[in-house]
Amino acid sequence: MLTVDSFPATRIPEAAEALRPQIKAFLADRLAGMPASRRARTWSGFDADFSRALAERGWVGLTMPKHYGGAGLDAFARFVLVEELLAAGAPIAAHWIGDRQSAPLLLHYGTEAQRQAFLPRICRAEIFFCIGMSEPNAGSDLASVRTRAVREADGWRLNGQKIWTTYAHKSHYMIGLVRTSGTPEDRQKGLSQFLIDLSLPGVTVRPIRLGTGDTDFNEVFFDNVLLPDDALVGQEGNGWAQVNAELAFERSGPERIYSSLVLLDLWAATLRASPSRADEERLGKLLARLAPLRAMSVSMTGLLAQGQSPLTEAALFKDMGTELEQAIPGEIADAVATRLDTACDPELMRTLAYLMQLNHVFSLRGGTREILRGMIARGLGLR
Amino acid sequence: MNDDNSVLTDSFRRLVADIATPERTRTFEAAPALEPVWSALAASGFLDALVPEDCGGAGLSLASVFPLVMILGEHAVSVPYAETMVARALLAANGQQAPDDAAIILAPPSPILPNGAAATHALVNDGERIALVRLVGVGEDPFRAGGATGIQIGDRLCDLPADGFDLGLAAAGLAAAQMAGAMSRLLSMSLRYANERQQFGRPLGKFQAIQQQLSVMAEQVISVQVAARTAMSGHGFNVAGVAAAKARANEATHLVNGIAHAVHGAIGATEEFDLQLYSRRLKQWQLAFGSESFWAGQLGRLRILAGSATSADFIRDHLCDGAA
Ligand SMILES: Cc1cc2nc3c(=O)[nH]c(=O)nc-3n(C[C@H](O)[C@H](O)[C@H](O)COP(=O)(O)OP(=O)(O)OC[C@H]3O[C@@H](n4cnc5c(N)ncnc54)[C@H](O)[C@@H]3O)c2cc1C
Repeated sequence: MLTVDSFPATRIPEAAEALRPQIKAFLADRLAGMPASRRARTWSGFDADFSRALAERGWVGLTMPKHYGGAGLDAFARFVLVEELLAAGAPIAAHWIGDRQSAPLLLHYGTEAQRQAFLPRICRAEIFFCIGMSEPNAGSDLASVRTRAVREADGWRLNGQKIWTTYAHKSHYMIGLVRTSGTPEDRQKGLSQFLIDLSLPGVTVRPIRLGTGDTDFNEVFFDNVLLPDDALVGQEGNGWAQVNAELAFERSGPERIYSSLVLLDLWAATLRASPSRADEERLGKLLARLAPLRAMSVSMTGLLAQGQSPLTEAALFKDMGTELEQAIPGEIADAVATRLDTACDPELMRTLAYLMQLNHVFSLRGGTREILRGMIARGLGLR
Repeated sequence: MNDDNSVLTDSFRRLVADIATPERTRTFEAAPALEPVWSALAASGFLDALVPEDCGGAGLSLASVFPLVMILGEHAVSVPYAETMVARALLAANGQQAPDDAAIILAPPSPILPNGAAATHALVNDGERIALVRLVGVGEDPFRAGGATGIQIGDRLCDLPADGFDLGLAAAGLAAAQMAGAMSRLLSMSLRYANERQQFGRPLGKFQAIQQQLSVMAEQVISVQVAARTAMSGHGFNVAGVAAAKARANEATHLVNGIAHAVHGAIGATEEFDLQLYSRRLKQWQLAFGSESFWAGQLGRLRILAGSATSADFIRDHLCDGAA
């Protein structure tokens, strides 16, 4: 059953911590002058040059083995790296998906040829990935995907549509979950994952604008796209299990608690001049929620490093973490608008306005609150 | 936790379950008295768990006794066992010894002192020093849970310098750990009840609304447990760790108690049913040694004064396992 022992007390090893000063120094230099309202985009901020600069230092694909172009470091080293990138508000969206889940997926389930073809390029930040899970009629009910790949003499014929695909319009490849046998009624059975080259004929990517005015995600259409034989990732029919392995990576990291951190710290800095008791309490309550969540993320990093797949733990962590990330802009709005006679710092206002308009997506992307709570309930023996 | 530790924890859990039965808790509530629970617990030998080995104790770390303190909360133990463990270690480290049969509470200023009703001794602040005093009387027990609204102090047995030891911090840290234990008991009772109780022809736990509530409860409980564990992961109790743990425990109590009682319906409120033994104690703990606003204020101030560049830095320096 899910208990505190599901999250063993875990410390980040010294070797991983040793990376931190170099990363801080790099970020201090590279992000100097970048306004907080842009830094607040963190893992939604796309900057291919920034990703390549990280890659030059070996900081993309950190956990990939050296012979595939990675740094051969462990999951803790990646935690340290990612924590620093997020806390500083570095624009890491370009390489984010490939680094977090596509590369580990290919390392684990890919063929040797796929690993050699893709991992070094991911590590050099030459190719970027997106996640093709959701469809117009398959959101929470992911197992009902309808996009279908049919085997042909020279490969697979792909038809269907994905939606909400983050940065598909700037990515080179999608890892798509599609049906290869049976019907949507067969649910988890008959699903497979494919490496889809988005430049192939028949692929159309149509950007969707968010209410914030940003264009982060897309519709992706597949019209008789011919995928080569070796586009299949892992075993045919094993897609559901593979997707779940990915989701443990997708839901356990510090990005599920730090999406509003730049704002929190910008606000905290303004308090130094004239803290009120109410502000101190507000800040303290948020930190008291944040600290155990960070400990849980470190703990799951240890579990992932041991080869475990803490999927239910990650659901619990992500649900709580995104609730906190969502609460932060509202709390700060409450604080700022309590001081009616003090002008709000313009950059604080821009950052606050950005996150107040975006925070409702934090609990949607990566699986919704209700779905995660259903997984937790199962972990508690209730279903 | 390593294997030695989990063996220790399991045997302590069995021991406490045998000694501090719900029946005994009810008898205790009617007329708080140390016995028979105290002698049985004392005989286990854990009272000197934190006393350094060269002073004849087991020399365990706070981190190793954290699960034991949680277990006390899990079983609504209402005698000051955890508090006496910490007091004995502090006294021993200062070359002093507590009387063998002393049941010692930590008594910093607080509107209520849980586990105080049957205590025989207390550690109190006395200017720059901490004094061990005999108790000649205690205040009221408004929760009927073995607490005391105050103490009457008799002889002063000894004193020691307060440097490096803050009674208020230690008391709040131990409170958070016992609260974490009481909450995990509420959770396990609620899960069991949801699987057993049937309405509309199926167990409550099959209804999505109930599942979602219990998931939230589990989240809250685990978050408190992790925060309390961090507060007890260093050499001593530090402000940030304790502040986060007690603020979190107090805040979570609202939801955790609320959901536990909601899921149980009317039966949960009855004297006959065990649930209230734990939920009433949680409410009592909320009033003890600093509220969520009190500790959150301390934590926020610390963050502002520390001047850390980011909150991630602050947490790493002050609020993660072993930071102290
Ligand atoms: C910013 C952002 C980025 C995203 N990026 C990607 C991406 O890159 N790739 C990708 O594949 N997807 C992506 N998504 C899609 C995301 O995974 C889905 O939005 C999510 O899984 C929910 O699906 P839906 O939007 O269709 O909502 P629905 O599934 O229609 O859900 C609507 C509401 O109903 C609730 N609900 C649904 N089923 C149940 C049930 N059984 N019981 C109780 N309540 C239920 C949900 O919890 C939710 O509250 C992204 C989404 C966002 C917001």
